[in-house]
Amino acid sequence: MNNVKAIFKKQAKGILRNPESLIQFLIFPLVAFAMTAILNFDEYYFTEEMLASMPNMVTMMATAFAGMALIPMVASIIAEDIEKKSLRFLRMAGMKPAPYLLGVGGVVLVVSMVTSVIFGFISDFSGADFWIFAGGIMSGVAASIVLGATIGILSKGQQSSTALSMPIAMVLGFGPMMAQFNDTVARILHPFYTQQLNVVADYLAGNSTAPLWNSFAIMWGNVIVLGIIFALVYAKKGLKG
Amino acid sequence: MISVSMKNVCKAFGSNQVLQGVSFETHNGEIFGMLGPSGAGKTTIINILTKQESADSGECHVEVGSNQIGLMLENDGLFDRLSCLDNLIVFEDIYKIPRSRTLEALEKVGLGDAAKTVVNQLSKGMRQRLVLARAVLHKPKILFLDEPTSALDPMTARGIHKLIRELREGGSTIFLTTHNMEEATHLCDRVVMLHKGRIVEQGCPKEICERYNAKKESFDLESVFVQLTGGGLE
Repeated sequence: MNNVKAIFKKQAKGILRNPESLIQFLIFPLVAFAMTAILNFDEYYFTEEMLASMPNMVTMMATAFAGMALIPMVASIIAEDIEKKSLRFLRMAGMKPAPYLLGVGGVVLVVSMVTSVIFGFISDFSGADFWIFAGGIMSGVAASIVLGATIGILSKGQQSSTALSMPIAMVLGFGPMMAQFNDTVARILHPFYTQQLNVVADYLAGNSTAPLWNSFAIMWGNVIVLGIIFALVYAKKGLKG
Repeated sequence: MISVSMKNVCKAFGSNQVLQGVSFETHNGEIFGMLGPSGAGKTTIINILTKQESADSGECHVEVGSNQIGLMLENDGLFDRLSCLDNLIVFEDIYKIPRSRTLEALEKVGLGDAAKTVVNQLSKGMRQRLVLARAVLHKPKILFLDEPTSALDPMTARGIHKLIRELREGGSTIFLTTHNMEEATHLCDRVVMLHKGRIVEQGCPKEICERYNAKKESFDLESVFVQLTGGGLE
């Protein structure tokens, strides 16, 4: 527990002193807010039908945040510690991989909770729907953290972590946006957590009748599958600095 | 009592045979120097002893576990975005030591006033001193120092030498690598000379100098090394 705390504190200070990474937590809800405001701006002429056919900007950006921002971020944090040999000194001091990864993931999870709540506030959801939506984002965040950690372990450095994580993040982040316009893409992406996040949002908006538990089951199924992949990669590759 | 030993250790990276039957031992409470030019295999020896690498053959022994080892390597592994103090606090939490000792370590290396300075704003010398503070934070029994004064100005190097001597007096065993023969002559109790992965000489610097520079008045390990290997140190 002491070691988790040490890494949690180190990572929290690192994120707070690194505005570039903090921006990633804020830019997605900010863009969602701005886009929603523009669509609702009186001077622009959007008919009810046009607005109805447009995707919900908040859910779209929330999906992009859960899928796109966090995977490269977590992968990059781990890859940086590997590349700069910081991990070597941590290991020499007795740091085990599990507390290290829990510490890194914990910080990202906590900051993402704030982002999820911001998304909840700028969405139209209220009451239980608000928390269901925020819970959906957090499920996506959990899956992304595990996936990012796997990529971080596989990477030799920050450059390779970006090269590995960006294509995956783009598919997971942009895929559900495309799925809003194309049923085939929606079907293909059905087993992925970012698509299910969109389904949850659609359900809450009254645009879908698919059962909510089904989406949450798929999202947490993703977390479990990714956790198994992570364990296998970790067993093979370890966490060497 | 022996604190670190290697017996007939060999190590190759691909076709490059880095260590060829290296054997030596260090005793508790001494400053032990591993001398040799760049590429002689000094860092590989530290990596093997600290379990960062494994030897292809031979035996290694380190008396204590990794949490009683202090390490200072060329790649300093500092967290660049954190302050000097915050860098040490990470290890303070891991080792469960009081804050007073962390501050004491910073003071000892002359970084007390720079405690709140972010690491990426430090000079090379200050970084080296911070790495040394991190290495000694938990009062290790064995301290591995890889080129601790390379690229440092003489004043900073002298400060680090003083600290190393203090650590020895405190009972720690110091294992350092260097290609600075003068440093080794004045600092080390015993040295090993490494050339192309082989040990060419070992013993007390004074005795080695007397053996090879019998006609000279001053100690000069460098000329001994040149005599033994036919090459320079750089």
